[in-house]
Amino acid sequence: MTTSSFMAFLPELVLLSGALVLFVLTLGESQGRQARIAALLTALATVAAAALCLGQHAVLFSGAYRVDAFSQLLKLVFASGLAFILLLSGRLPDIRDQIKPEYFLFLTLSVSGLVMLVSCVDLITLVIALELSSYPLYLMVPMRREREGQRSQMESAIKYVMFGVAATGIMLFGLSYLFGLTGTTSLPLLIVRLQPVIHSPPAVVGLALAFCGLYYKLAVFPFHFWTPDVYQGASNETAGLIASLPKIGAVAVLVRFVSLSPSDNQVIALLLTGLAMASMFYGNLIALAQKDFKRLLGFSGIAHAGYAVVGFVSLSTAGYAAALYYIVGYMLMILACFVVICQVSRDGTNVAIAELAGLHRRSPLLALTLVVGVFGLAGIPPFVGFMGKLTLLTSALAQGHLALVIVAMINAAIAIYYYLRVVREAVFGDPAGNQPPIALDWPTRMLCALLIAAIVAFGVAPEPVIDALAASLGGLNLPL
Amino acid sequence: MTICLNHYLVVSVLLFALGFFGVLLRKNTLAIYMCLELMLISSTLALVAFSHFNGTLDGNVFVFFVLTIAAAEVAVGLAIIVALYRQRLTVQIEELNELKN
Repeated sequence: MTTSSFMAFLPELVLLSGALVLFVLTLGESQGRQARIAALLTALATVAAAALCLGQHAVLFSGAYRVDAFSQLLKLVFASGLAFILLLSGRLPDIRDQIKPEYFLFLTLSVSGLVMLVSCVDLITLVIALELSSYPLYLMVPMRREREGQRSQMESAIKYVMFGVAATGIMLFGLSYLFGLTGTTSLPLLIVRLQPVIHSPPAVVGLALAFCGLYYKLAVFPFHFWTPDVYQGASNETAGLIASLPKIGAVAVLVRFVSLSPSDNQVIALLLTGLAMASMFYGNLIALAQKDFKRLLGFSGIAHAGYAVVGFVSLSTAGYAAALYYIVGYMLMILACFVVICQVSRDGTNVAIAELAGLHRRSPLLALTLVVGVFGLAGIPPFVGFMGKLTLLTSALAQGHLALVIVAMINAAIAIYYYLRVVREAVFGDPAGNQPPIALDWPTRMLCALLIAAIVAFGVAPEPVIDALAASLGGLNLPL
Repeated sequence: MTICLNHYLVVSVLLFALGFFGVLLRKNTLAIYMCLELMLISSTLALVAFSHFNGTLDGNVFVFFVLTIAAAEVAVGLAIIVALYRQRLTVQIEELNELKN
């Protein structure tokens, strides 16, 4: 391995050595505190390494692993996401002390899977990275503490695993057809050899089935069943992770896959349009009736996955860049909501929307974070959610998908109702009984400030981010 | 009659359909797990057949990785099923309904 390829693989190496240290910690007795510090240091080192390696270009492991501007940009996003999640996790009130090191180990491994996922250009490495990011999550869900009125973690875990494996099975079946048509597992070669047969039924079926594993991660309509149940059954911190980072990974791989099909493939465009519409309507309409805040975020997450798919319908670089921009913004907004959930529920129980009442008196900073996050999700102007929706709809309209744009607008209007209900409780509601103020430690304050700043900054000045994403997409399929 | 690619593919599709409908219709988590395995195995059969008739080895290599994934998935899934059984003393899917509102 030469120095340059060592540099290109540096973020993954840092993350994996961090995971190794965490594994050693799991062998000792109750090392929860040390494990948390080790995980935080790993995350910060990975952010530094990813920032250092932003300009790297390389092809590693016999062409199976491609380090380019696109992958490096997303690795930086994942590394920062890991740091955010660890700050958000705090003392993990809902995980037993004995298994905290394991929890941090699985967290790091899952993110390392995602970091590798964005660089994979071979079907085999792609599947391995996808599963490496999934399995630790399956195990993190049932790690929640058992108590009176909270005995559903195993049930949600079993649903999560079963839907996950079913989606993997369908995806592998689709991949086997793509392999059969092209005789190769390397994505760049596969693109070239698939072009002559792209309109034939086996190719369309293969591509459509291969997308299924990614739809599951993204929680798009026919693969959404697990979302609300897992959000409700998993501990608040785990749900925060499941809601944010894997979706970016799914969008990134979807970009690599959809860019396989030429921009005039009407069957793929039609399929994606249908999925986007169904996801938006289903998620938004069911979210209207929710009382548990995490379940509400689960259903709204299905709708947001639908918005992200709108970016793919146009089958253009502008659309892919918009989808990536939107899902990165979504990560920031959903993390802002989960910071509030984790802090409002001091001992780790689920949070009903009614429990947010009077949050502005109990903790003004948390109330502000919640308002910024929820207004962002609703798509209200100064925040990233608005600019994300605008760029998505612009890209879809540029390709003449008027009906889809109208449906998306109707859905944005429906969504405002339930988001405003949350804000009304937090800002105008009076606390039931005599609720004490919420004391925040400094990492949480810092995280709140960071998230608010990022949501506003991405929303006010979207051009640098979108331009960087579009530029990195330009070199996606070029030979290095 | 010589056995050609299509015969393998038909068997693979049948296995996949058996697994898929089993997952949808079965009520016992362990039986659902077996059906999930069938879905994974059907793709390995297709991969090996394609690999043989395309004259490349890539598909066979892919199969090794699919089998590894399936093994890891069984380890994770059965662990969760055992934990579930300890908590609820049942693995029947219709008795797992605490998460419905």
